[in-house]
Amino acid sequence: MAIPRNTTLPPAPSGRRLSRRNALGSGLAATLAASRVLAPSLFVGCSLGIPSRMPTVKIGLLHSQTGPLAIGSTSLRDVELDAVERFNAAGGVLGHRIEPQAPDPRSRTDLFPKRATALLDDGAVALFGGWTSDSRKALLPLLEQRDSLLFYPVQYEGNETSRNVIYGGQVPNQQVLPGLEWFRSAAGGERRKFFLIGSDYVYPRTTNFIVRKWLAGTDAAVVGEEYVPLDHADFAPVVARIVESGADCILNTVNGEGNLPLLAALFEAGIDPAKLPLVSTSISEDDLRSMPASHAVGQWMLSSYFQTVDTPANAAWMAGFRSEFGRDRVFGDAMESAWCLINLWKLAVEKAGSFATDAVRQAFAAGVAFEGPGGTMTIDPASQHATKHFRLGRVRRDRLCEVVVSSDAPLAPDPYPQIAFPGWRCDWTKGGIERGPEVSIDG
Amino acid sequence: MPTDFAWFYDIPTAKAALLMVAAFVAFYWIGAVIVRPVLRMFVRRAPGLNDLIGYILSCFCVFYGLLLGLIAVTAYQNVESAEQNVTREAAALSALYEDVSRYSDPFGQNLRWLIRDYTRYVIKYAWPLQQQGIIPQEGSIRAEALFDRLVDFQPSTPAEEILHAEALRQLNHFLECRRLRLHSVRSGLPRAMWYVMFVGAFFNILLCWMFDTRFLTQLVLGGILAAYLGMMMYLIVDMNHPFRGEVSVSAEAFEMLYERMVED
Repeated sequence: MAIPRNTTLPPAPSGRRLSRRNALGSGLAATLAASRVLAPSLFVGCSLGIPSRMPTVKIGLLHSQTGPLAIGSTSLRDVELDAVERFNAAGGVLGHRIEPQAPDPRSRTDLFPKRATALLDDGAVALFGGWTSDSRKALLPLLEQRDSLLFYPVQYEGNETSRNVIYGGQVPNQQVLPGLEWFRSAAGGERRKFFLIGSDYVYPRTTNFIVRKWLAGTDAAVVGEEYVPLDHADFAPVVARIVESGADCILNTVNGEGNLPLLAALFEAGIDPAKLPLVSTSISEDDLRSMPASHAVGQWMLSSYFQTVDTPANAAWMAGFRSEFGRDRVFGDAMESAWCLINLWKLAVEKAGSFATDAVRQAFAAGVAFEGPGGTMTIDPASQHATKHFRLGRVRRDRLCEVVVSSDAPLAPDPYPQIAFPGWRCDWTKGGIERGPEVSIDG
Repeated sequence: MPTDFAWFYDIPTAKAALLMVAAFVAFYWIGAVIVRPVLRMFVRRAPGLNDLIGYILSCFCVFYGLLLGLIAVTAYQNVESAEQNVTREAAALSALYEDVSRYSDPFGQNLRWLIRDYTRYVIKYAWPLQQQGIIPQEGSIRAEALFDRLVDFQPSTPAEEILHAEALRQLNHFLECRRLRLHSVRSGLPRAMWYVMFVGAFFNILLCWMFDTRFLTQLVLGGILAAYLGMMMYLIVDMNHPFRGEVSVSAEAFEMLYERMVED
């Protein structure tokens, strides 16, 4: 097929000879022209950088998904994922797609700082989570060392104010104390003998310390106090001691799955909630679904939010969440706090124009409010705690709570009730923590 | 592929195929301009060598074609196997969901929520990661939560014992399928195969450059051969990672399952 070297090509129709040089020149020009026209459309949507993808920002969701605390905290992760998905669908935050990472601290206090360290090492700009006060306190040294923000969604005992935590749950003056006041009133049955039962860690012990101090200033008394491990299952002896004590009201600060056997033991002992009510601080509707209705009906829950709260924001939130996670999902206080906190974080970041911890903190100090399902939530600049409604609910047969008492407006937080922690105050706008004499909660 | 050309899988299928074909043709044409004149000098010095090159090229094309064909089949089987694993995992999850629906509430409801949670995670979070060639990590947390909860159950009647045994069997089957799916995220042809393929393609093109024909004939015929080589390469590259690229194993089996679960 070789062509003799001296062969010439026939003339082109135009009369010009089609030499190799001409062909090359034409080909090169055509290729360049085609590249110029086709390149933009060819590379659109690919990661070569034309156009670039939305930048991402990581956040950490620290909720136990296994172990005894998973029963309540898994739903908080779902709420936060739902919020993040909505942020991203609406264009992200400050033009960044939010990438949530949710490792499992396995209900173990020692794993919370380890998981948080990994998240921060991976570039997380904020952490959302923690459940028990032990888990929160275990995170504090790391948060302060890295100057990172934790958004903590659960009610807690107070007696703490960190620049690195935004506290979204109620403190005792927003939950336990108004509740006990009501049970002491005529409407609440004029209860005077309180039995305190709780899990054996810092929240129940400190809360009960505040309760003891508060009751000491009234005509009521503490007739018994018991603490059990988080995974405690045999409550029959405790219930027997409650009955023996002659108590007319039980304040329950047991946390996690331990509430299931506690309510079962009360039911099996034939205790009538109308005569000896169990008033719980750490049970929500989300926890109630895990126990038979007969065990919980008529018992009392102290909270800031119940699923039955009748507001348009609540209806919209529940509908949106259920369309994503299932129609049978129920809602609880900590879920609402988690929802409000992550939305408050978004508002603060947008107000600050930055994801940096200090800028976000300053945005909170300047005032950020979110219309949450349970009412408007703001963060008190002095203590970085949330303003919260007080609500008292009674469990119905459908395992939801009927709201019996509700505060007219959100209550301001007081992390250091002076009856328990005299001299202690915090105002981050005026120099921070003012220390009083050391207080022993066992005293 | 020997190195992780992640960006390649982000390009829409038609454009990626066009890009690969264009790259091969461009390489061939550039070589025809720069390398061919040098090679042709050797060919022209030895009369009859052009015919010999023609025979060698034919022979080489047969062997190389066979190699490419077999590799393409292997890559396709890899995709098919991944698709089957995904379907089996979704089917096992569906069967498990049905089994746990027979447990009394609240235990049954807790289990249903955990299965739903896992399914949602696979669709919304695991799949996009798999499409980037990343093995998703948080699914194992959800699978473990489901496992922990299910093994907690203490059957109290013979009927519950049978149901529980069946649920545990389905759970194990589901975990096995899940492991296979995760394994196939990074599965692909061995590096040595890629070297053989690319070196073979280069030799093919080299032989074409040595072939002494008119320049335009060389450009057209060689260009066609290079375009087809590029297309075959694209096919193998695209099928090499079953979860990557526009044409890949989809999460449809999980999506259908989740739609049904959410309606419950």
